[in-house]
Amino acid sequence: MDVEQNDGQTLTSDLQALSVSDPLSNQFSSLNDLCYEASSLQELASRGSWRSILDKVVRARKLSLLQKPHEHLIYLCYNVLALTKLRKYGEASEELDSLEDFDSARYKYETHPEHYPNRSGSMVPFALRWIHAEIPQRLGKRQETLDRLYSLLDFVRTKLKEKESKNMNFCVDRWKKREAFLISSISSHHLSHKEFSVCLALLRQLLNSDPSNPILLSKLGYIQMQLGDLEGSKALFNRVETLMTEGNPGALLDEVQFKNLVNRNKALIYLVGKDYVSAVREYEECIERDPTDVVAINNKALCLMYLRDLSDSIKVLENALERIPTVALNETIVVNLCSMYELAYVNHSDIKRTLSNWIARVAPDDFDSSCTRI
Amino acid sequence: MSATAGSHSLAFRVMRLCRPSFHVENPLQLDPLDLLTGEDIFDDPSAASHLPRLFSRSKASTNKSGEADLTYRNRFELQNPTDAMGIPGFLVLPQSFGRAIYLGETFCSYISINNSSNFEVKDVMIKAEIQTERQRILLLDTSKSPVESIRSGGRYDFIVEHDVKELGAHTLVCTALYNDNDGERKYLPQFFKFIVANPLSVRTKVRTVKDNTFLEACIENHTKSNLYMDQVDFEPAQNWSTTILKADEHYSEINCQTREIFKPPILIRSGGGIYNYLYQLRMSSHGSEQVKVEGSNILGKFQITWRANLGEPGRLQTQHILGSPISHKEIELQLVEVPSKTISGMPFLIHLKLINQTDKEMGPFEVWMSGGNSHEKSITVNGLQKLVLPKVEASGSTDFNLNLIATRLGVQKITGITVFDVRDKKTYDPLPDLEGLWGYYPGDPLENRFLLVAGRNAPCSDNASSTLFASGSFIDHKIRWDLTCRTIPALWQFTAFISYVVNLGHRVVLDFGLHFPTVRRAQSSCSGNT
Repeated sequence: MDVEQNDGQTLTSDLQALSVSDPLSNQFSSLNDLCYEASSLQELASRGSWRSILDKVVRARKLSLLQKPHEHLIYLCYNVLALTKLRKYGEASEELDSLEDFDSARYKYETHPEHYPNRSGSMVPFALRWIHAEIPQRLGKRQETLDRLYSLLDFVRTKLKEKESKNMNFCVDRWKKREAFLISSISSHHLSHKEFSVCLALLRQLLNSDPSNPILLSKLGYIQMQLGDLEGSKALFNRVETLMTEGNPGALLDEVQFKNLVNRNKALIYLVGKDYVSAVREYEECIERDPTDVVAINNKALCLMYLRDLSDSIKVLENALERIPTVALNETIVVNLCSMYELAYVNHSDIKRTLSNWIARVAPDDFDSSCTRI
Repeated sequence: MSATAGSHSLAFRVMRLCRPSFHVENPLQLDPLDLLTGEDIFDDPSAASHLPRLFSRSKASTNKSGEADLTYRNRFELQNPTDAMGIPGFLVLPQSFGRAIYLGETFCSYISINNSSNFEVKDVMIKAEIQTERQRILLLDTSKSPVESIRSGGRYDFIVEHDVKELGAHTLVCTALYNDNDGERKYLPQFFKFIVANPLSVRTKVRTVKDNTFLEACIENHTKSNLYMDQVDFEPAQNWSTTILKADEHYSEINCQTREIFKPPILIRSGGGIYNYLYQLRMSSHGSEQVKVEGSNILGKFQITWRANLGEPGRLQTQHILGSPISHKEIELQLVEVPSKTISGMPFLIHLKLINQTDKEMGPFEVWMSGGNSHEKSITVNGLQKLVLPKVEASGSTDFNLNLIATRLGVQKITGITVFDVRDKKTYDPLPDLEGLWGYYPGDPLENRFLLVAGRNAPCSDNASSTLFASGSFIDHKIRWDLTCRTIPALWQFTAFISYVVNLGHRVVLDFGLHFPTVRRAQSSCSGNT
């Protein structure tokens, strides 16, 4: 416990004091141990207050509040994420340009032993690599994004092999999650361009390594349904249902979520068979079990439309927005509601404006209000 | 009755009600762990044990269903890696009235007539029709039981459907006849236009090889979306039976774990994508009972069902597909047996049958090979140049052998076999070219290893041999098959006949009718590999 002081220099042989000076060793009791005011950043991000995040980053930089190299990287990452969320892609891209190559020595812990005495490896947040890959597409350079994402996938797979060969199980688990995340992300790009065959081929790889994942199976079912292979989607949904009756594999879903997933899948089968009444019934079961199941709420409203009940379909969506705004307020529900307004009212601009004003008061910063088509 | 423009209490609103689509996006959702820590943090075992707990604690009571989360956390935090796929399951309504509609689909529309005035309207007679160039089709008519009244702010809705059977401009004509507040009878017509286009074109080719007729169909997709081919059935005409010929599955698909639940669909790419189908047709009645009718020969027609988003169906039928015209022949020459390979310079026998298809005795005959002098021809008769055959009775046949010799290598044609009826002094035109043969260098090891894969570009399997026939001549001396690349080049894409993944020891039938019209049929077998 003795701290010797010597001409202004603080030397210590105290273990506790030593570990405090390395911010990352053994101190994982709170988020703020990871990074300066990390919990505040998380809080703002959860509330969708991306503009506040931008302000916070500016302030932290101006007042030199960030002491460690890794904190600068994390703040930069949040900054880029916030700019992207706010659709300021040009600025996000510029911010990323200020970085060196991710693999450069500058971003390795061992290059800064004064800050990280016992640590080695890359301090780059994985999210930063991913966002860096995603940006070009939002600036119209889709091919660049695909190239970067596929390269990143190679990078992840190399890491995975390396960790597996060293039997580092926690690591392997994390990198496997990142691999699944990347494959899914790449698929979303192919999907939005209707490149179904490539998408299915990719997801098949994922399915081969995780064949009992009910969420993955269901999403594959949606894709097959989207392209028209109804028999294929049925087979996948049946498999999901079998998994449920066999018992919950893994901790992906709790009981209510799993049951709702199965019901929603059933509803889709009824829907494509044009049995909208049965579909509505399945969705109502979901909503009864979980009143925050917005997918069920949205799809139920659509079924009511196909049953010629425009008034009730509007009510279902309006009710959800009123009752559970933070869950229900998303661009898809608003698009559907506005389509219904356009059909129901000759002078629909009034009612759309009312909706739009409400959205402006309640919505998070990143909400894209062009979906109201005003 | 007045048809005043402008001052109407009622107005029609319409929405195309084709099937909805799944909402697809590129989400910006992340795992907070990947945001707040360096990517290699888990290399440190103490981080590995502490961090997951830290993050699950900070998540508060989110993931629990039933409890409303009062933040917009779900727009930012990734719940599962697969959420990054961006297909959460929301359905979206069709977004415009004018989305392309294609022949064979069903036009479906939600029609709502709104009373936007402050007064009630009465006795509303509503009619909805489709007007095309050729006709006017009634979809809905309430004149027999008009809607008694529509209150101010009220609405009357209906959904109409119509199977689209014509191309070109269509108009949905909605009309309403009603009594407004002043007791005036008003007439409101509204018009909504859409265009019907052709979704597919079907190109067919018919080829006859001996008793087999092959039908190749190429379907091209002209629409703006990918089409899932639900059913493509060839319905043969009365005296025909049909079998579809399909490629064997690629080995990588057979070994795939997920094969049972996940078969790759037949999907034709939008805007010009194609897919080929191959059928083998046989006459249902065999042998001498074959009725050969002069003139054209109807083989059958195609029934095609495709599906677009969420299974939106479309159906089309082609016109009759015709085979080659049958002309009645008096005599027919059939090849009964030919060796599959021979050595250049060594004589070989081919076994032929001459059939008398008339109802009276014919012959005797003389048979020779015509065309060019023996220096030019690659196959000539060995020995006597002219063979004499005895008379053949009505509907009878006679067998004979021709002793031939090949002077050149590679696949060769046997051409110019001419039959001359001595009694009637009639020469029958050189009968159709017969099968070609492989030829080898004497003493060369049998090096026929090759791989053929189905008509689409699919990769060769890994133990593919590279070059077919290292030296020597090939078909027509024009094409060299150099299969050194991993995927079969486009050459094969149009030869839908090739449909076998040939591994060692398999026999393969190659038909090159499409690109190599001079060769009808060739046979070869794969020998052992080293």
